[in-house]
Amino acid sequence: MKKKLSTILLIMVACVGVATAQTRGALRINEIMVQNENSVVDDYGCRSAWVELFNSSYAPLEISSVYITNNKDVLNVSDAQERKKMMYAVPLGDVNTKMPKRQHVIFWADGQPTRGTFHTNFTLTPGQDNWVGIFDASGLNVIDSITVPASLLANTTYARAIDGKDNETNPALTWEVRDNLTPTSYITPSSNNIITDSNTKVETFKTQDENGFAMTIMAMCIVFSALLLLCVCFFVISKIGERISKRNKAKSHGTSVSELSRSEHSDHDSGEEIAAIVMALHEHLDAHDQENTILTINKVKKAYSPWSSKIYGLREVPRR
Amino acid sequence: MTEFFISNLQDFWHLTGFYNATWEHFVMLAVGLFFIWLAIKKDFEPMLLVPIGFGMLIGNIPFNTEAGLEIGIYEEGSVLNILYNGVSAGWYPPLIFLGIGAMTDFSALIANPKLMLIGAAAQFGIFGAYMVALLLGFEPDQAGAIAIIGGADGPTAIFLSSKLAPNLMGAIAVSAYSYMALVPVIQPPIMRLFTTKKERLIKMKPARAVSQNEKIIFPIIGLLLTCFVVPSGIPLLGMLFFGNLLRECGVTTRLAKTASNALTDIVTILLGMTVGASTQASQFLTAETIGIFALGFMAFIIASSSGVLFVKLFNLFLPKSKKINPLIGNAGVSAVPMSARISNNLGLEYDPSNYLLMHAMGPNVSGVIGSAVAAGVLLGFLA
Repeated sequence: MKKKLSTILLIMVACVGVATAQTRGALRINEIMVQNENSVVDDYGCRSAWVELFNSSYAPLEISSVYITNNKDVLNVSDAQERKKMMYAVPLGDVNTKMPKRQHVIFWADGQPTRGTFHTNFTLTPGQDNWVGIFDASGLNVIDSITVPASLLANTTYARAIDGKDNETNPALTWEVRDNLTPTSYITPSSNNIITDSNTKVETFKTQDENGFAMTIMAMCIVFSALLLLCVCFFVISKIGERISKRNKAKSHGTSVSELSRSEHSDHDSGEEIAAIVMALHEHLDAHDQENTILTINKVKKAYSPWSSKIYGLREVPRR
Repeated sequence: MTEFFISNLQDFWHLTGFYNATWEHFVMLAVGLFFIWLAIKKDFEPMLLVPIGFGMLIGNIPFNTEAGLEIGIYEEGSVLNILYNGVSAGWYPPLIFLGIGAMTDFSALIANPKLMLIGAAAQFGIFGAYMVALLLGFEPDQAGAIAIIGGADGPTAIFLSSKLAPNLMGAIAVSAYSYMALVPVIQPPIMRLFTTKKERLIKMKPARAVSQNEKIIFPIIGLLLTCFVVPSGIPLLGMLFFGNLLRECGVTTRLAKTASNALTDIVTILLGMTVGASTQASQFLTAETIGIFALGFMAFIIASSSGVLFVKLFNLFLPKSKKINPLIGNAGVSAVPMSARISNNLGLEYDPSNYLLMHAMGPNVSGVIGSAVAAGVLLGFLA
């Protein structure tokens, strides 16, 4: 039995391991510049193409051992080791690869990985479609990918309209070209594509639910449904419990459930009736009239714990 | 040499409380002393008002904020600031909920699950106050933080206000705990107002015995169901049900005892003291605070009334033998176990053999769950 339980436990631990390995799924490609002539420069004062990644989760994200590539052929290679050789691996051991929640990091696509963690081994080519993909540590699963169109001009970027998000109603609007010409089309390396100065949720409620009526109805419905669910669930559980206890009782009496329920009244063991019988007996027998003089000694059993044992105490606790 | 003495003593004089004091400091110190007096002399929620009151004294002793002494509660790195992190980051309230879970017996609720709906109805106090707060000109997030006072649950109020309106947290916490202490004064007139003598005499059937298995299943199912509906309530509901599982599973008695005694006491001390210390004059002595106290009072009244009225409405659909005494409706606000005791006392006043305590404990503990769910809803909508 113990062996079986240990096996189940091991399988469950393995499942937990697999589940936690997938947490890098929050990483998103957020903005890409293919031809950089007058935009941001790297630590070496050079302008080159760049790929901005975004941690879309609200938890820090370690991106070391994530793979980045512009080589779409990796998708045709099934062997993980072969795939990894074709991609740029974000190296281990750099504290900067731990991305804080909802933050960005830029990778320079300059083909010079010796310049540091954030310089990839590939470059992007202007005038043609550029596919960029990021893969998890296994090298097999694509976390995110995007094809930057060949029509993208120099000093413009291909960026998500909303940081880290897909436009689910119209996927064609997820990505847009940014050229720095209008306030809504700023190129924003290492910062949010949409800069917000207020809580949009609060603003929405402020404008669309001025008197709080909608909030009240929605919230009360949610509170009621949560507790109603619990109520229904426990109603069912109590019925099942009742049936099981009746069946067990019938089994111990050597009779059937229907016979047992016929023979006993449901209110027979109500607490009130038992209390009334006890009170009547007490009055009738006039028991314990000398109660004040009765000394009762009960053995009190205390659970031993080495954490609270007095023998390990340095001195006795002073008592008044 | 004399000059050296004089200049140093002058510098020291500039650091003292006497030099830096303003009339606002003295008002806040007086409020703190008043809370301590209420707690010690009038026995009003002493476990909370003593730490809060003393915290107010600690937090409002004037000092030179430009001296870089790192002693103020809002100065990063100060001891008080480190302790205050539990409030500002919101991890004290879930720890208190762990203790509440370990102390609470949900048997009354499990035995009669329909009583859970009373706990839900009483949450109307929160959203009624939310609407009025909006009318008074508060922003939606501030209104949500203030309205949670109607849940009559101090830790929940602190948790939500720390997330939605940190600048109002001191006033909200003090208001929530003050009204919880005033439950015996606020609720009985409302209960009398909305019930007839006949209704007050309704005798409810004794609750059935609940098996150990049901008690163990309750926190697990409760967590899964409520948190799947409102994931933003996980910190509070998760800890509440976890504490309850520790209590009921029978194999973690020591952990349950620690959670319900030592841990709760430690966190209560730290929470009360730091909340008190955070009530600085500049943020506390404002017109907004008066508004918060008025709204809190109103939220309590709406919550208690809606609980009682919901029972009356519910009774219309119940057979005569299963009618619920509306006097337990007020217990839908959490304030455990004070509001349940009030139901019991009022019931006994009209019929000395009508003990309502166990029946009232059902809506009372469901009020705790309900207010945590409501806090989760507000957090989900407004954070």
